Amino acid sequence: MARRRRAADADAGAGLPVDDSPRGQVVDARLHVLDRQVVDRDGVPVCTVDDVDIAGLERGRYADGVRDTGVLVAAAPAGADPPEPPRIGALLSGAVLWTRTFGGDPRLGHLARVPWSDVTDVDVVLAVARAAGGYEANWSENWVRERFIARIPGGRHAAD
Amino acid sequence: MLGLFLGVLTAIGGFVDIGDLVTQSVVGSRFGLSLVWVTVLSVVGIVVFAQMSGRVAAVSRRATFEIIRERLGPRLGFANLGASFLINLLTLTAEIGGIALALQLATSIAPGLWVPVAGAAVWIVLWRVKFKIMENVVGIVGLCLVAFTVAVFLLKPDWGQLGHSLVPSVPSGEHPSTYWYYAVSLFGAGLTPYEVFFFSSGAREERWTPRDLSLSRANVFLGFPLGGAVSLSNCVCATLVLLPLGIQVSSLSQVVLPVAQAGGAILVIVLILGIVAATFGAALETCLSSGYTIAQYFGWSWGKFRRPAQAARFHVVLIVSLLVSLGILATGADPVQVTEASVVLSALALPLTYLPILIVANDRQYMGEHVNGRVMNAFGLVFLALIVVASVASIPLLIISGMGA
Repeated sequence: MARRRRAADADAGAGLPVDDSPRGQVVDARLHVLDRQVVDRDGVPVCTVDDVDIAGLERGRYADGVRDTGVLVAAAPAGADPPEPPRIGALLSGAVLWTRTFGGDPRLGHLARVPWSDVTDVDVVLAVARAAGGYEANWSENWVRERFIARIPGGRHAAD
Repeated sequence: MLGLFLGVLTAIGGFVDIGDLVTQSVVGSRFGLSLVWVTVLSVVGIVVFAQMSGRVAAVSRRATFEIIRERLGPRLGFANLGASFLINLLTLTAEIGGIALALQLATSIAPGLWVPVAGAAVWIVLWRVKFKIMENVVGIVGLCLVAFTVAVFLLKPDWGQLGHSLVPSVPSGEHPSTYWYYAVSLFGAGLTPYEVFFFSSGAREERWTPRDLSLSRANVFLGFPLGGAVSLSNCVCATLVLLPLGIQVSSLSQVVLPVAQAGGAILVIVLILGIVAATFGAALETCLSSGYTIAQYFGWSWGKFRRPAQAARFHVVLIVSLLVSLGILATGADPVQVTEASVVLSALALPLTYLPILIVANDRQYMGEHVNGRVMNAFGLVFLALIVVASVASIPLLIISGMGA
């Protein structure tokens, strides 16, 4: 969805290329966001960035306001003129990986989202503010833990 | 000293696991020392790339499959994941069978009875034993494999004649395609991708930081040449004893023959201890690698430094891999034959593993001041080219030579 889109005012981490334009540091979604690991505040992996959700887009209409142009354009909420630029809304994980790989549209209910507002650092990993267990992307980890691993003797104890 | 066994354990999987033990013996008994150059070349190659992957893991704290996913994207990354996972699974199957075969040599109890015991022992270690203890115990006992090297000296060879037979040449009676099939197999086995998966993930298990770069280097420069030297000693033993007798090696008991002739029962006991440790170590390495690769591709929590409940999906992958391996062995499959199929899979997995390592080792966002120097890049590029050539050639050679028949 967001290949090559440049998210201008992202909270960029150290080491990213600095753009001299007034926009500040540049994050290339494909190079610096997609397929990187997401870790929580304690360094525990949350997921891999399987795709990126762009907020602030809507279907373009011809001047008659009815016919669909088939192109996504910046949404223009009432009173906002010019329209606000599209932004990264959330990092996506899960089933969206297969639609990104093999094509098709992901079902909205199957999207595990990590809100972009949680992202505290964009470096070789993306750091998020909350604990890994609290994210939807981690449901299968929680499920497997409660159903199987924690029930095997020694499953909750550190190795000796 | 105890910090150096990660490299030793990693090298065991590449150079002295069950497949390599038998292959080097086959090669020695059929081709003499004319293929030694391939193993030497693969030692240099794995040193170059293991050094890079260890450095990337210490500096950027990213293990190799995280980098593969990040640089190759979901599609090519998944192709590599599929091929690498199957290599891991087939090798794990072979190693568990190998543990059973080695224990059969020691006890005369049928391998079929040892297989479940070996599988359970591997799981208990993966479930409960600290990474550091696992690595040190298996690495130290694995050193018993120097019995091969001791045997070479006890056999009192004519060193001048041995030196002359190091020249690469196709022996009379062998077809060139067979020679090159074994060359490509040995090269692929020496550079098998689970070595870098295990080494870089092991570096994360042990929490290496940029301060540990010299430790990483020491591990690489000690472990892999040691593994290669032991592997070549096995080949020399076969050349000295089995080649003149015209013995065609097809089982582990024949691999042990030259050592028995050279050093008698005591040296054989030491060797078998070494073989049990090496196959056990390779089983741990490949099983963990199957968990590391899948968890890193999907961004799951992984590692033995966490409690099993905090890396739940990772441990499920380990358990399922082990169960599948035991299932394959239950069908009566020959453990040594199982690894032969890996050659085909390596053709895909090798280039797709080493290219991303080379790229990221040059990326300043990951590596800062620790990016590759020119010499390292020159070596990396030369070996990447060799890997691509070997990968392209492997499948036609496999077909033409009838799997080295």
